[in-house]
Amino acid sequence: MDDQNLPDDETLVRLTQNGDTRAFDHLWHKYSPRIYSLIYNMTANHEDANDLLLEVFAKAYRSINGFRGKSSFYTWIHAIAVNMTINFVKKRGRRFQLSLDDLDANVQNDKEFIDLTAANTPVREVDLAELQHRLNEAMMKLSVEHRAVVTMFDIQGMAHAEIAKILGIPEATVRSRLFYAHRQLQNYLEEFRKK
Amino acid sequence: MMLDEQQLQKLLRLKQFEQPPPGYFESTLVEFHRRQRQELLRRPALQIWFERLISGLWSFRVPTYAYGAAFGAFLVAATIVGSGVWAPYTETAETASGPVRVASSPRGLELSSYRLALSGDVDWSKFDRSSVSPRVVPVLRPSQTALPRYVLDGTPVSYEASFSF
Repeated sequence: MDDQNLPDDETLVRLTQNGDTRAFDHLWHKYSPRIYSLIYNMTANHEDANDLLLEVFAKAYRSINGFRGKSSFYTWIHAIAVNMTINFVKKRGRRFQLSLDDLDANVQNDKEFIDLTAANTPVREVDLAELQHRLNEAMMKLSVEHRAVVTMFDIQGMAHAEIAKILGIPEATVRSRLFYAHRQLQNYLEEFRKK
Repeated sequence: MMLDEQQLQKLLRLKQFEQPPPGYFESTLVEFHRRQRQELLRRPALQIWFERLISGLWSFRVPTYAYGAAFGAFLVAATIVGSGVWAPYTETAETASGPVRVASSPRGLELSSYRLALSGDVDWSKFDRSSVSPRVVPVLRPSQTALPRYVLDGTPVSYEASFSF
């Protein structure tokens, strides 16, 4: 079954609830890259992201009979991932290692990358690996709740309303967290630029 | 020059290119399946059954018509009991046989009735427990052993109401 002929999420969930494990594999293929990205950007560690990704899908599989379709599967599994990652990061404390510092080669062709590096911006003055490293460091200085919002909005491109639904908070809180997080990141990166 | 909001957002968006190596998600799915199997083998059957039960309870939804059906059943039961068509402790042949057996002779009946009515000191030896049904306790309830008309009228074997004299 290729991606175009794939049933919608609702059907895949129903099939999984009826014991069709292949249907859950399709859900895995569809959502694991996004969930991985979410977890990775909240933990900044590949091994942790790998373990959590497996745990998130294992939990989703165990609980899928309780999924009533009040929200989309997409929202539901993101909520599981965010909650598990927040718990994990809080338990882990401030210890973290930056492990996945290799940007995909495609970034070189990305319009935003070209814009950023071609213009007269602070970004141009530093090499990409260093910039990425600093950005990850700055991200890790944010609280895990703020990091979650930045990851979903800025990196994954989700809407405010969707983030609010996943986190179970009002949209206004999402906006204020974003505002605060952006200020923090700007300050951290500014400090780096001055060095 | 400080990064402005737009530049920061562009910079953050670049993080979407931080991806694991190609083939990662395929191999992780294999690992996922392996862990699932391991978990199934490790967990006791009782735990799996319990989890399914809890999961089933969470997903169980009471159908709307069930509330109406339950209320209807309650109304029918209340009507039957309230109208006296059916009463759980009415004198049946089985329960009636208790005192009759005990007081098969008029003398015996008189004695036992007086004892029960006046003193409440029941001579249990007069009861043939083997022949009396297990409902011996309901038979000896105060409402049935101390019928006031036996005492006041002095005619314990009569079932006629006292106002007929």
